[in-house]
Parts: sequence; structure tokens; C-alpha cells
Amino acid sequence: MRFMMLMIPKGYEKAEPHALPSAELIAEMMRYNEALSNAGVLLSLDGLHPPSKATRLTFQSKKPTVVDGPFAETKEAVGGYWLIQVKSKEEAVEWARRCPAQNGDILELRQVQELSDFPPELLPT
Amino acid sequence: MRFMILVKADKNSEAGVLPDEKLLAEMGKFNEELLKAGVMLAGEGLHASAKGARVRFSGGKKTVIDGPFTEAKELVAGFWIWQVKSKQEAIDWLKRAPFQETEVEIRQIFEAEDFGPALTPELREQEERHRAEAERLAKGGKR
Repeated sequence: MRFMMLMIPKGYEKAEPHALPSAELIAEMMRYNEALSNAGVLLSLDGLHPPSKATRLTFQSKKPTVVDGPFAETKEAVGGYWLIQVKSKEEAVEWARRCPAQNGDILELRQVQELSDFPPELLPT
Repeated sequence: MRFMILVKADKNSEAGVLPDEKLLAEMGKFNEELLKAGVMLAGEGLHASAKGARVRFSGGKKTVIDGPFTEAKELVAGFWIWQVKSKQEAIDWLKRAPFQETEVEIRQIFEAEDFGPALTPELREQEERHRAEAERLAKGGKR
């Protein structure tokens, strides 16, 4: 089964547009990525620029409104993700616990939908 | 440049309600257009947060909390990764998406060159190796 591991760094919702992680943190994360990769668990990963550089589209009755970041009301923001292939949610949690996250960070694990999760009659032939 | 398009959760996605046949068909058509245009690199839907977990890092302690995360206002329900020439191009594509009442966020993805000197040549080489290996596994390669 596949899990998306979403990194929610503390305070990232308020980060400046050009904020970057420190060189030490980058090096630590690389070691973690190396461990995921060596275990054959890692399917993909990316880091995201801060929400202050983002744009939101809100769809209501099909006419989207466009708003640029930062978004004052936001309480937490995704800073990046890993997509991992594991045998169970417990294995995913174990990997999340090993992440060199900083004080106040949250890692959210979310199972990815597979085609087999959909009733066959809903799928295009 | 690459963008991650984060589709936010709503009551239905959090209740585990699957999209109906009409929406699936419309989404399938939209995905096909994205693929044909060479824009779509990835796209996935996520199960409701009730099936997930959070690990909170605090003062050297790690606390595991099982979903659902009712207090979280902006849960993710799915995402795409798009390759486009500008954020405006991503906005233009997204305006065509068959959503009814949804909030969607466009976030630029870091590329190696965005990190400047913090990403040393050694780290960059390592990063490229991880990506290549991940891509191989994602295509069904053996561990």
C-alpha cells in the first residue's frame, strides 16, 4: 500500500517567499531520504515553496475565484511530501517517527487510493 | 517549472464518499487533456484522514495520533504534479478543472537549483540518485 507522508513544518504558513531550510537540515533530510531509498520504500518526494508564493482557486458553482498567498487564516501548511510504498500503516508510522523533523513539526500519513479501491462499475473501461 | 496542485478535503471526501460516475468521467477527461498536453506528471487521491495518522514532534518526543483530524481546517484530499512554463499556465489549466465546490492550492515545487550553495555537489548527486531509484520503484521495479 502507498502512503503520502506530508511534512507540516512549524510556522511554514507564515514563511517568507524565499525561505529555505538550513544547510544542516538539508543534509539531515538527505540522510533520511537515503535510508528510505535504500529500504526500497521511497516512490517520490518533493519540497514546496512557501504558501506566500502560492495561489488558491476557490470553485463555487463552477466559477473559480483566484487569490494569491499568503493566506492569513491558514493555521498550518504543507512544506513537502514523501510518497512511500509500505506493507502497513504501522510501517508508515515507523518511517515517519524516524524523520529528522524539528520541534513543533507534524508528519501526516495518508493512504493513497488505488484503482482497486473503486467499485469496477465506476471505472472507465 | 513544476507545481503541486493540492485539492482540499470537504465533508464528502472526509466521510469516505467516492466521487460519482459523472465526476469520475469528467475528471478522467480532464486528466487526459493534461496528459496529452504534457502537463501532468502525477496525480493521486487520498483516503479520508480517518485512515491516516499524524506524528507530532515536540521537545524530543514523538506523539502518534490516529485520524480523523477534525481540528485541521485544510486537509488534503488529492493532488497533481504539473510541469508548466509559469504559474499563470497552471492557473489557466486549473480553471478548466471540473470542480463544483472545492478549494485548490497551487504550490511551486523546489528544484535543486533553488537551494543554492546549501545543496553541495555531493548532496545534489545523492538527491539525483534517490530520484532515479524512486522513479524505478514507482514504475514497478523490484526493491
